[in-house]
Parts: sequence; structure tokens; C-alpha cells
Amino acid sequence: MAEFFRYISLYRLFLVQRLKALMEYRVNFIIGAASTIFLQASSILAIWVVMQKVPDLNGWNYDEILLVYGLITLAKSINHMFADNLWTLGRVYIRSGGFDRFLVRPINPLFHLLADRFCQDGVGNFLVGVALVIKASIALDLAWTPLKLLALIVGVLSGGVIFIALNLLTCVTSFWIVDSVPVTRLVFDNHLFAQYPLTIYPKAINVLLTWIVPYGLASFYPASYLLDRDLGYLTWLAPLVAAFLLFIAYRAWEVGLKHYNSTGT
Amino acid sequence: MDAIVVDQLTKVFKIPKKDPGMVGALKSLFRPRFDAKTAVDHVSFKISPGEIVGYIGVNGAGKSTTIKMLTGVLMPTSGTASILGRDPHRQRVENAREIGVVFGQRTQLWWDLALVESLNLIARIYDLPADRYKQMLAQFAETLDLNDLLKVPVRNMSLGQKMRSELAAALIHEPRVVYLDEPTIGLDLIVKERIRDFIRTQCAATGMTVILTTHDLGDIEELCQRVLIIDEGRIIYDGPIHAIRDRFGKFREIKFETGGEPAAALKLPRGSEITSRENRVLQIRFDRTQVSASQIAAAVMKQVDVHDFSLSEPNLASIVKQIYNGALDTK
Amino acid sequence: MIRRFLREPPKYFAILSMVPKVFMAYQVWFWVSIVLNAIGMAILYFFWRAVYGSTEVIAGLTLNTTLTYILFAQVFRPLTDIDLIFEFGYGLREGGILHLLLRPINFQAMYYFQNLGTLGVQMVLQIPMALVATFVFGLKWHTDPAVWGAFLVSALLGFTALFFFVYCVACLTFYTTEVWGLGVLFFGMSIFLSGGLVPLAMMPDWLQAVVLAIPFSQALAVPINILTGITPLSEVPRIWLSQGLWVLGLWLVSNLVFKVAIRKVTVQGG
Repeated sequence: MAEFFRYISLYRLFLVQRLKALMEYRVNFIIGAASTIFLQASSILAIWVVMQKVPDLNGWNYDEILLVYGLITLAKSINHMFADNLWTLGRVYIRSGGFDRFLVRPINPLFHLLADRFCQDGVGNFLVGVALVIKASIALDLAWTPLKLLALIVGVLSGGVIFIALNLLTCVTSFWIVDSVPVTRLVFDNHLFAQYPLTIYPKAINVLLTWIVPYGLASFYPASYLLDRDLGYLTWLAPLVAAFLLFIAYRAWEVGLKHYNSTGT
Repeated sequence: MDAIVVDQLTKVFKIPKKDPGMVGALKSLFRPRFDAKTAVDHVSFKISPGEIVGYIGVNGAGKSTTIKMLTGVLMPTSGTASILGRDPHRQRVENAREIGVVFGQRTQLWWDLALVESLNLIARIYDLPADRYKQMLAQFAETLDLNDLLKVPVRNMSLGQKMRSELAAALIHEPRVVYLDEPTIGLDLIVKERIRDFIRTQCAATGMTVILTTHDLGDIEELCQRVLIIDEGRIIYDGPIHAIRDRFGKFREIKFETGGEPAAALKLPRGSEITSRENRVLQIRFDRTQVSASQIAAAVMKQVDVHDFSLSEPNLASIVKQIYNGALDTK
Repeated sequence: MIRRFLREPPKYFAILSMVPKVFMAYQVWFWVSIVLNAIGMAILYFFWRAVYGSTEVIAGLTLNTTLTYILFAQVFRPLTDIDLIFEFGYGLREGGILHLLLRPINFQAMYYFQNLGTLGVQMVLQIPMALVATFVFGLKWHTDPAVWGAFLVSALLGFTALFFFVYCVACLTFYTTEVWGLGVLFFGMSIFLSGGLVPLAMMPDWLQAVVLAIPFSQALAVPINILTGITPLSEVPRIWLSQGLWVLGLWLVSNLVFKVAIRKVTVQGG
């Protein structure tokens, strides 16, 4: 437990230093965050245009869709802010030999990797997510019972962990192959399905997004719960699935690290 | 007790064999075949606390592989390394607290952070007590002349400033064992001198043990009492620096000033050869295991009118250069 | 530019022929991007099917027309991929641009042909996407050569206009170090503004006006409208003319902008 608090306070320190460095490039910080907002704005604008023309999408109205979209964006932003460095593990750290630096220090190398770079661009995603959820909540006049609030938090946090675990699982391949980014994208891009209610997709895609790459647990199911729709109860499965995935991913990381230890790449 | 004990340390890399073309690529995907390359081959040595040991060899001789095993980054294929009584790989975290590493070409500082911020972070990573850290920081600010640099981000530093900062970063937690990889590479003479001075005084003051890999003979001559030479994964020399000369410096040179131009065909004993002749100066290099200086002098004087002659000691720089060129005859 | 090209064609063909070699280095990406694009296509496909769940016609477009439009927009998306921002931004940082300026070659022409070559290669690489669109999502291809001719001319004009526009924006990298953000921002804008997500006809008038006023749509929405028959053939000459004017205007502007921006490099050394 002492160890846990040590890491928390270390992370805070890393974060403060990172923000200080970012403040040196204040304009870049803003452009970075703004760029992700723009990216999201494109998709949201498209949804808005279309929903002007039709009353609903498979029984989901505009604001309900925004809720789904906002939830996945929030979960994604957690990964984007705190675990973006996973993408660069192979390119920036392993290939250059910079990864050795983590291994000669008395802390967990995965922690060091993640803490090394808080990604400011994720803040844009976070803000978009928060704005969308609030907007939808007001427009839909959602009744926030304590249980629903809990479902929201559980959904978003588990969703964030699911994103991180799947990215970790795929980025670990950079211990073996030159560039892990294609592998990561193959899995990561599936989250785009979860920007919309899963009911618009055929059964197979529903299964994929619920049980295999369970991004649906971050958006569609919590939204269903908040809107008292069918299958909303699956939200409560999200933390279990997230924990399971994280466990698998961390084991994979350990195997990758061991491989690195014996080959040095 | 020895600070570092290395016993029969061996690292064998498996290198995947690749057949050319698409078919070959597919084949190796399903049935990968490997070549074994022994990078470090049954290396053994012991280093006492407070020693500064130069570790030299050509690129690819196994230097960095050894260092990676000693720092816990790489796992040995066989044999053991023990740093202060610990297995550096199995007890990686505990070992990491006691060691400091400078990778000459790669920074361990944060590119965009002011030096003092980087040091703050490192102090926290190593769990340094705040007052001890303050003490060390003040001390390094003095000995490494960092006062003007503390507020400067690493990206704005010159090479020499960066290296001073790297040293501070590697030593701030008072490691008992330190690995320095090319700490003076690319620096000008004055800066080099300062860094050597710092390493020397720091060692004397703290009794830390240092393994230094370098291509710079000056580093070795000024810092190391002892040198390990590795070649093709094996230690071929382990001893004091001055003894390298006796061991490897088997060629010597003898220079004659002659009265007239010597005849074109000069008869010389076996194991000697003329390296240059001009303006009545004749230089002859000889292998002292085959022939003695007096034998050559006698032979030359018989054929030419000699005014003066001098014998030169082999120069350590040229020996080390030979070592790095891999041209060393180790038999 | 044209005159120079006619005078020194081999140089520019050499640049063109470099492009496939660069692409070979991205073999893995080739296979992976097929899957990624298929995911994107599937999302759009099911999204639009759901949109038409309770309506037959939206803004005069049937589900079939809309899906054809959307799928073609996916297949021909490389028309809007003009990578100059990173090229200028990072090329400049590495000092490569100064290097290029020393060569006896028209800078803009070189990049135009490089991007044209890239477009050609990317379109070849899109063949798997076209197959997916055709056999998985049921995209119907036109057989009328007149429509294809009209489309190709319009696409080339639109691509050229967009090239000059991106060229102007890329010159901004001479003033800022935030190349990545600029690139992502620009990319984000292009996705919607090219008209690849939603047919222009469905947009409110004011939004349509905005989208048409920014050249992304010239390279994608305008030619795809011709290809899907949303724009009738009788309209085509008028559209070619307006695209021609876009090209001319942006060519002038881009040269002006470059002249000003390059002073930043040559005078202040970057």
C-alpha cells in the first residue's frame, strides 16, 4: 500500500513537471488540445446534419446518440491523456535503446513509460466528452439517481481501462516487431463502432464490441443504463472485463519485458 | 568484499536466419531458424570497492552487452554477475538503487525540463531524503559548476554542459557502483579534463566503484589503475595499465642518423623492417621477441656509417589503437 | 510550371517513380489499412442504413444514392490526402528545404508531381477497398464513359485546386513549430469539409455554402456528385469552369504566400 501511494505521488510529480514543460510551449498546448476538438467536431457536425433530417436512428434520438458518443470519447480521453506513450514504445524507446533508462531505475518500467508523457491532446477529447454528456443529460432531462451516477463513473473508468489494456496488449508486440502501431490500430480502431448505438449494427458486430474488443461497455451499455433501456445492466460487467483485460495485458507486458531482457533487441 | 564479481558470464544471442524473398520470409515465419552468436564468452573478473576500471574493446567486442548484464537490463545466458552481493537482473529494483549509469550518447534527462526539475524527479524516483538531496545538489552545483545550468532545459545545452548534467543525474543518489559509457565523447580537451577531474575526486571522496568504457586513451591513463580488454567476447587482458605495454607492445622502433644515404638494399635481421628512410634518417621497426635492439644496431652499423641512433619506447596510444583496430596479436 | 515541366519532363518523372519505392516500405501498413478502412466503411454503411430506417428519401436522395455517394467518397478519399504540412514542417526542421531550394528545380512543381504520383499509387492501393465496397457493401459502378470522363477531369481539377490551398497552409509551418497540431487540425477539418461524411445536399444552406467555399469539397464532394449522378452531366461544363477558376486563383495566391513565407527561411535561417 505504501508502494501504491509512492507511485501516486511520483505520478503527480511527473505530471507537474510535464505540465511545466508544456507551458513553455503554451501555443502548442492549446493547438494540440484544439486539434482533437476539431477532429471530434467533424463527426459531431455530421451527426447533427443527419439528425436534422430524421427523427431517430433505430429509436435513438439526436441527444441519446450524443450521450453514446460522449461516453466513448470520455473513456478514450483517459487512455489518450494517461497512456498515449504506449504508442511510441517501439519507435521512440525500444528502437533507440532509450528503454534501458527505465530498466536501470528503481521503479516499475511500465509506470515509468506511462508517467513519462502525459498527453495534452487528450484534454481536448476529455472536454468534448464532458460537454457532450452534459448537453445530452440536460436535453434528455436525465434523472441522476446515485446508482446512475455510479454507472456513469464505472462505465467511463472501466472504459478507460479497457482502452489502456487493449493498447498495452497490442503495443507489447513492439518487443518483437519493428513497428507495433499497425497492430494497435487494428484493435484500437474498432472503438469507432462504439460511437453509435450498437443496435444499428448486425449481431456479429455487437458480439465483437461486447465480448472481444469490448469498447461497447464504455459507451452503449452505460448509455442504455442511464436511459433505462434494455441490456443497460451489462454496464456492471464493465469493471470485471476491464480488470480481466488489464491482467492479461500486464502479463503480456511481463512476457515482452522478459523477451527484451534476453535479447536486448 | 568485492563490489563486482563476474563469474563465467556468457551471453548468446539467437539471430534469426532470413532467407531471401517472399518464400524465404514465409518459411522463416513458420519454422524460424537461428544462428547463435556468442557476444560475451565466459567472462570472469572481480572489482574491489573504490576501483576505477577501464573496460575497452572494439565495437561489437561485447563491452555493452557486458554492461547491460551488469546493470540488470539483460539476462545472462549462463554464468553469474553479482553487484554488491546482488543478482542485478533478479533483484533489478534493489540493484538499481545502488547503481548509477551514464550512457554517453543517450540522455537520461528530460529534454524539455530545466535541469533542476529533472534532478528533482530523479531524486524522487530514487527516494532520496529531501535534506540529503539538497546537500548533494549544492555539492554538485559546486563541483560540476552547474549553478548557471540548473534553470536551463537540456535541449538548450552544449555537449559539455549536457555531460556535466548527466553525471549529476547519474550520481545524485550516491550510487556505490557506477557505469560510465563514453563520458567524454565529443568533448573538447578542457571539458574532458574537468570531467575526468570530477570523476577522480568523486571516487576518492565517496569510494564508489567505476567501470568506464571509452575510446579515449586519456580517460584511461588519467583515471584507471586497471584495465580490462575484451575481444570477441573474451577478456584478453586484465591488469594495470602500464603492464599493457610489456604484454602487447612487442614492436619497437629504432632510428639511425647516417653519414650518407644508406644503400638501397640493406640487409637486416629477421623480424625487423624499414619503416621510413629520408634525409639521412633511417627508421626500423622490430619485433623484440625475435630480435634485440643491439643485434639490429650491429647489423646496420656494419653496412652504413652511423652518426647517432635512438630507441623509442612503444607508445601506449598506438597500442590501444591497435587494440581498437582489432589488430592485436594476443598470442 | 507547365512550361518547365514540358522542358524538363525526365526530372519530374524521376520524382514520380520514387513514390512506389517509398510505399514498398509500408507493406504492413498496406494490409492493415485495408482492415482499418473496412471498419470505417462498415460504420458509415450501417449508420446510413439506420438513418434511412424510417424514411425513403432524404433531401432528394434515396438510400441507394447516398450509400453509393458515401462508398465512392471512401474509395476516392486519397483525392484529399495532400501531405505537405508534415513535409514542409519536418523537412524545414531538418534543413531539407534549404537543400531543395538550392537545386535547379521548381519547388512547387516538384511537390505537385510528387503528390500526383502519391495519389496515383494510393488509388492503386485503394483497389482492395474498392473490392470491399463492391462485394461486401454492394457498391454499383457506372458504365457510362461520359460520366467517368467528367468525373476524372473534375477530380483532377479539384485535386489541383486543393493542392494549391494546402500549399498555402503548409507555408504556415515556416512560422510555427507546432506542425503536428496543425496537421491534425487540418486533417480534422478535411474530414467533414470534403463532404465525405454527409452528402452536401443534406446540409443546411448556410453550411453548404461554407463547405463549398473551402476547397476540400472541390476535390471530393464535387467530383463524387458527378460520379453518383447527383449532379447531372448537363451541369458539368459549368462545374469544370468554376473548378478551373479555383485552380487559377489558388495557384496565384499560393505563389504569393510562398514568396512571403520563404523569406522567413532565407532571411532568418528558419
